[in-house]
Amino acid sequence: MQENIADKGKVTFVERRKALFRSELVKSLLPLLGLVVIVVLMNILTEGSMLQPKKLKLLLSQVYYPMICATGVFFIMTLGSLDFTQGSTLGLASIVVGWISFYSIPLAILGGILTGAAIGAFNGFFHVKFKLPSFIVTICTMYLFRGLCAYLTTDAPMPASMQMKALDEDWIKVSVTLFVLLIAFIVFRFTKVGPSVKATGAGETATRFSGIRTDRLKLLTFVAAGALTGVAAFINVIKVGSITSTAGNQLETQILIALVLGGLPISGGAKVRFSNIIVGTLIYTVLNNGLVMLGYDTATQQLIKGVIFLAVVALTIDRKALKVIK
Amino acid sequence: MKKPILVAEKIDKSFGITHAVNHVSLSVDAGEIRGLIGENGSGKSTFCSLLCGIYPMDSGTFFLNGTKLDIHNQVEGNRQGVSIIVQEMGTLAGLTVAENIFLGNEGRFVKRGIKNTGAMNREAQSLLNAHGFDRIKASMMIDAHNFEDRKLIEIVKATYFKPKVVVVDETTTALSQYGREKLYGIMKSIRDDGRTVIFISHDLVEVLSHTDTISVLRDGELIDTVKSSDVSEEDLKRLMVGRELGTRYYRTDYGKPLSDEIVMSVSDVSVPGQLQDITFALRRGEILGIGGLSECGMHELGKAVFGASFDREGSVTLANGTKVDSIPDAIKHSVAYASKDRDNEALIINDSIRDNIVLPSIDELSCKGFLNYRKLNSFAVENAQHMSIKMTGVGQFVSDLSGGNKQKVVLARWLGKGSDIIVLDSPTRGIDVKVKADIYALMNELKSQNKSIIMISEEIQELLGMADRILIMKDGKINGEFHRDKTLGEEDLIAKMV
Repeated sequence: MQENIADKGKVTFVERRKALFRSELVKSLLPLLGLVVIVVLMNILTEGSMLQPKKLKLLLSQVYYPMICATGVFFIMTLGSLDFTQGSTLGLASIVVGWISFYSIPLAILGGILTGAAIGAFNGFFHVKFKLPSFIVTICTMYLFRGLCAYLTTDAPMPASMQMKALDEDWIKVSVTLFVLLIAFIVFRFTKVGPSVKATGAGETATRFSGIRTDRLKLLTFVAAGALTGVAAFINVIKVGSITSTAGNQLETQILIALVLGGLPISGGAKVRFSNIIVGTLIYTVLNNGLVMLGYDTATQQLIKGVIFLAVVALTIDRKALKVIK
Repeated sequence: MKKPILVAEKIDKSFGITHAVNHVSLSVDAGEIRGLIGENGSGKSTFCSLLCGIYPMDSGTFFLNGTKLDIHNQVEGNRQGVSIIVQEMGTLAGLTVAENIFLGNEGRFVKRGIKNTGAMNREAQSLLNAHGFDRIKASMMIDAHNFEDRKLIEIVKATYFKPKVVVVDETTTALSQYGREKLYGIMKSIRDDGRTVIFISHDLVEVLSHTDTISVLRDGELIDTVKSSDVSEEDLKRLMVGRELGTRYYRTDYGKPLSDEIVMSVSDVSVPGQLQDITFALRRGEILGIGGLSECGMHELGKAVFGASFDREGSVTLANGTKVDSIPDAIKHSVAYASKDRDNEALIINDSIRDNIVLPSIDELSCKGFLNYRKLNSFAVENAQHMSIKMTGVGQFVSDLSGGNKQKVVLARWLGKGSDIIVLDSPTRGIDVKVKADIYALMNELKSQNKSIIMISEEIQELLGMADRILIMKDGKINGEFHRDKTLGEEDLIAKMV
């Protein structure tokens, strides 16, 4: 009799565990499901025109540089931080790329990366050394760098060398994006950076007490994310050819929305997945494209995106883990 | 013949996969102090939280004087005659003492939409005075009071309106002897008034001497309800754990000589406002106890030795001459630290058991900078099993575990690391007897492997029972040193603490 009761207890325990596992699995597959739904929906609404080769190419061309930027922001958000300077960093780095491209293309690429890294270092320094929340630092510096962009392009947009435009080939953009994703994936999954960044997002003090140099890690993450935005700037310049003061405008919010749509917990931590970057950027781009193709004006598009973003955050946020974002 | 005042029928609650309270039915008589005991995670606090509407129940019903209770929050609970003094801080910062006491009940002082603050303060002050807490001023901000006074204010808040049932959840640990006596007095007066107290505590001696009956919970189930006068401490432990416990879980050896080999020397360590010129040496295979009052600086000393203090002067030197100046230094050179603040400093609670165990050893577990997940997993599983952590798997999040199991995760990570010097700050704080015994056994095992332990503890019995040598601190300085001895008593240590 005694044994029977014990067995019963065991069964329910295992069942509960399975149920919990299932619910976690469902949660993690939800973004992917969202992507499928939105692709199908948009194709029905646009009567299949989205999948025409020409339209598809256009759609993909809008994926590359946000996806590269999102990769860097993914690491920052995993730390539990935020970065609002992506757009202005892209603008500034693009100006540098354009300017140097008249002298040497490789140097221009390097210049863009260094500009991005320097801006990341600037943000990271204030965030880490002065212990300021990153969203406050980067909201301040967003205005700073956007102002600088405007100053440098006051008289005329910054042109890039014609040689740059010649590089506007899909295979270049695809391979750069895939290369960035691959390196980031290896770093995230197969080096100690991954567990360290996740742990810092989940509990910074305890991570420091585990022997991880969290200050250095945070600073380097901001530098790396800035450098990736520098890479994205190169892709941006070969696409647009000349840079205006609004280059990369609102990129930061697009990336934030994309990552959250992709299932990234807004407070970062241990529950992030690398696939959030890819799924999220694709969902966002399809949504964006679809709304344009459906002929909505900008105001309506923003309204729809705002509603969807708010709904997704409200449905998926982990209220237990949510503290003030660093 | 006494009549039941509170009846619980098949109360049930689960959190995720944890069945916290499993169909518990019990009844409490009017004019009774009922003790509620059980190990960590046995469901005592959850049961009372359900009673007071802090969590919603999955199923079951509470009846008070035959009327079904329908409570969704603490204020509703108060109106229906149930109140609770919680384990954590239950007062709200940024409000005055009087506003805290009358929280949710301000209406009685409001006339035509305007609150009469003067009347509220006067009434609060007279309540405080009636309890003999004259030194607390009702009009002052709650923030101006220390932890103990805030607890006393909470007691007044939970009892002034004469609730039928008062739950006292693990409150005494936060109180000094003075505060405890006051609380016991209040409990008795509630009983004598024909009302009821439910008293939760880990301190079995206290439970035995201040309750009439005791209910024991284990793994969310009600095991038994006994008369306090019929049972001994040992009986209660047996009921809680479900098996015989050795009567002694401390060390029994005395007079064994210590090694002369010094593994760590701490010299002139100061931290502004916390520590002043601390100098001592730690020997191989020694358990060095450090005791004192909570604010004496001993907790900071643990951090200082681990290289985690923000502003430390002086030096911490290991046997081979290495200086420990940062946390990575300390960990690299075989120093481990289990903080008193388990949820913030010792563990990343929103992360998996695996990540928590693996993180300090991650460099050794990676090959040329690359992680091998199979190795990480087996390392985590092996160390978790060594500590017999109750878990569904190493992927489970630490936040789901009970206090004792959390501490086991902390120990598992440092055992895995194989550290030679282990700093344990309050290793058994808030931990039940069974896990406590496990931790003492582990300390003995480590000692026999010639590892050295610095055990910082607020429990005098633990210091006397486990340490080879005891340093007592006062106001940031070392104020006394004792060697392990049978004749050493609590009074000797206390004399150096105050």
